[in-house]
Amino acid sequence: MRALEPPRPHGLATTARALAAGTAAVLLVSGCGAPDDGGGADQVRVGLVAEPASLDFTSNDGAAIPQAMLSNVYEGLVELDAEGEIRPLLAEEYERSEDGRTYTFRLRDGVRFSDGAEFTAEDAAFSIERVKEEWTIGLADQMDVVEEATATDAHTLEVVLERPSNGWLYAMTTRIGAMFSRTGVDRLATDPVGTGPYTLDTWERGDRLVLRRNPDYWGEAPQVPTVVFRYFQDPGAMNRTMLAGGLDVIANMQEPEELGSFTADGGFRVVEGTTHGEVVLAMNNDEPPLDDVRVRRAVRHAIDREALLETAWAGHGTLIGSMVPPLDPWYEDLTGVHPYDPDRARDLVEEAGAEGETLRLRVPNLPYAVNSAQVVQSDVEKTGMDVEIESLEFPARWLEEVHGAGDYDMSIIAHVEPRDLHLFADPDYYFHYGGEKFADLVEEADRGSPQEQADKTREAARVLSEDAAADWLFLMPNLTVAREGLAGLPRDQVGEAFTAKTLHWEEEG
Amino acid sequence: MRRVRARRAVSPRRTGAASLAVGGVLAGAVVATALLSLVWTPYPPEAVDTGAALLPPGGEHLLGTDRFGRDVLSRIMAGARVTLQAGVSAVVIAAAAGVPLGVAAAMAPPWLSRLVLRANDLVLAFPALLLCIMLSAVYGGSTLTAMAAIGIATVPLFARLARAAALPVLTSEYAAAARAAGRGRVAVAVRHVLPNIADVLIVQASVAFAIAILAEAALSYLGLGTQPPTPSWGRMLQEAQGLLSSAPLLSLWPGLAVAVAVLGFNLVGDGLRDLLDAGGVREG
Repeated sequence: MRALEPPRPHGLATTARALAAGTAAVLLVSGCGAPDDGGGADQVRVGLVAEPASLDFTSNDGAAIPQAMLSNVYEGLVELDAEGEIRPLLAEEYERSEDGRTYTFRLRDGVRFSDGAEFTAEDAAFSIERVKEEWTIGLADQMDVVEEATATDAHTLEVVLERPSNGWLYAMTTRIGAMFSRTGVDRLATDPVGTGPYTLDTWERGDRLVLRRNPDYWGEAPQVPTVVFRYFQDPGAMNRTMLAGGLDVIANMQEPEELGSFTADGGFRVVEGTTHGEVVLAMNNDEPPLDDVRVRRAVRHAIDREALLETAWAGHGTLIGSMVPPLDPWYEDLTGVHPYDPDRARDLVEEAGAEGETLRLRVPNLPYAVNSAQVVQSDVEKTGMDVEIESLEFPARWLEEVHGAGDYDMSIIAHVEPRDLHLFADPDYYFHYGGEKFADLVEEADRGSPQEQADKTREAARVLSEDAAADWLFLMPNLTVAREGLAGLPRDQVGEAFTAKTLHWEEEG
Repeated sequence: MRRVRARRAVSPRRTGAASLAVGGVLAGAVVATALLSLVWTPYPPEAVDTGAALLPPGGEHLLGTDRFGRDVLSRIMAGARVTLQAGVSAVVIAAAAGVPLGVAAAMAPPWLSRLVLRANDLVLAFPALLLCIMLSAVYGGSTLTAMAAIGIATVPLFARLARAAALPVLTSEYAAAARAAGRGRVAVAVRHVLPNIADVLIVQASVAFAIAILAEAALSYLGLGTQPPTPSWGRMLQEAQGLLSSAPLLSLWPGLAVAVAVLGFNLVGDGLRDLLDAGGVREG
């Protein structure tokens, strides 16, 4: 997914018990099978945008690397299931101590890396220490909370945290928790060595990445022998390749207006699920006039989000009212906090004396952001303020000026990181929101019991929404287009990976 | 092709006149549309009406509406203004910098002349559009940067042409006579050189104008030129691209407008060249 990867999040999550997303509709269209030109039952060809620059996610940001590598080539001690709940993977089971500071993982027997080495607790401790010492990406600081990771015997790993943290275990399901071989980290950029169900076969840069089934996989062998990830610069070209039979699945549709071309008669089915990608209308809480909560509330009242979703993303997606998506167990519907009410918006602007103020809406030059910006501009200008749009090259220029230097009044970006509510707790982060009550709640949630975590996080999300720290325009849908007969696709995007091991072709009837 | 036909049957003057007439009508239509849009468009070109999005052509909206419910005809009309602004400013920048540079190079001592020419080559060696993209990326996308970038990229064309055209003028007897009569270099350049190379420059200007229109459309298409919601044909094309299969006509209108404007100004340039060159030696 083309979206922002916040560089310094401290995952705020844990023992997930995700609700099934009630709002996400599943669109299952069936029809007769189409000829698969060049395809076949022994492979699945996946269309993606944004090719990774390297295969090494320990030193390169970018969602494309874990998307292809994680859960396919690399595996962690724990993983997320399709509902977003944490469950053991390379660990058979794990235990959390009374004080919440010590985790003991009992590792699986008979797991081997693709280079033949056996996976032991030593490798697990090595992988965790390596995140702290060698990894250079911003996300690596989620491992800072670890005081010590030790192998107490060949298959038992003990991890001691500096303080109880619900976010840490959740982070272990992401790329941060990937398990590496002590002898297999020399050429991560091109020769990944993991325990996963697939191994890297070939990587033709600029075109495709081919994964082949790992014959020595410890678990149930995946049904599809070969998985091909094909990378496209242009979503339009990807759609046309799919229509022409050159792909079996588009993992994340980038042009929702074009979904109509993928009909059941053509042999396609469209699955609509949900994601963690909140499209945030960021407001600079530090700079006038948006340092005034009345003006921020006015902006939220001014925007007709239903019309915006229709315009920007063809109506696909979910309206949300805070930084928590329905995938999280503590989700609460907060869309009513500042509903669309142009009269109220005008009154608030007048009350705050902000008429005639100019807001610089500096957005990345991504289609959803530029489209949303024009609706936001039109709506907010009706309150008596002026809005100036500037579209900035993404990623470099936007990241530097808006995300880095905070030189903006308003901006629009999808925050795709799961459980990223805590981003607002850092007053230096580009929102510059300094709510102390909110920050306290976030910290208490990370330390507390599962029940406390849920309660405090829910409360924090409400405080954030009532303070109008930002506006949440919509939640990105997970739009998957698949060839008829391909099964095992997840409906929702709960983690970072595109998991291939569950894919299979249904028998033709 | 055109040259061969001109020799056999029709005189260059006749084809020139025809090109000029057709080009004049097309370019004139663009100019007239831009002027009209100053005082009247069917709808305000930037008015968002999400309830009336993607209406087909006909009815209240002659060319339909875009995804924001904005009237496409009004946006095409207002877009003509941005297009002409871009063309005019780019050509003015390019000529204002390039012509004096070229004439100066023609009159300067050889080492200085060579220096100017090499600097020129350096800019010229860069694909113009790439230069525009670079400048826009550094200084931010706006109609203004796009215009300046296109202008700067076009400077070498004017400089080279001005120098090449000025050299024969400078060796002419009347220029020598003026120098002998004690006129200064600047005076000679203004009184004798400029009027004699004006015809070549006008032809170049109309062609550069067409190139600038195309470049502005390309930059805006890439998101580096005119910023939303200001209508620009290039940006309209970009916005229509995502709707290519569901609303193909949305791409047609701005594409057609760019084609008409570029063709118009190119034909004017061709026509002028044929008319002005008719008696003299033709190049290429």
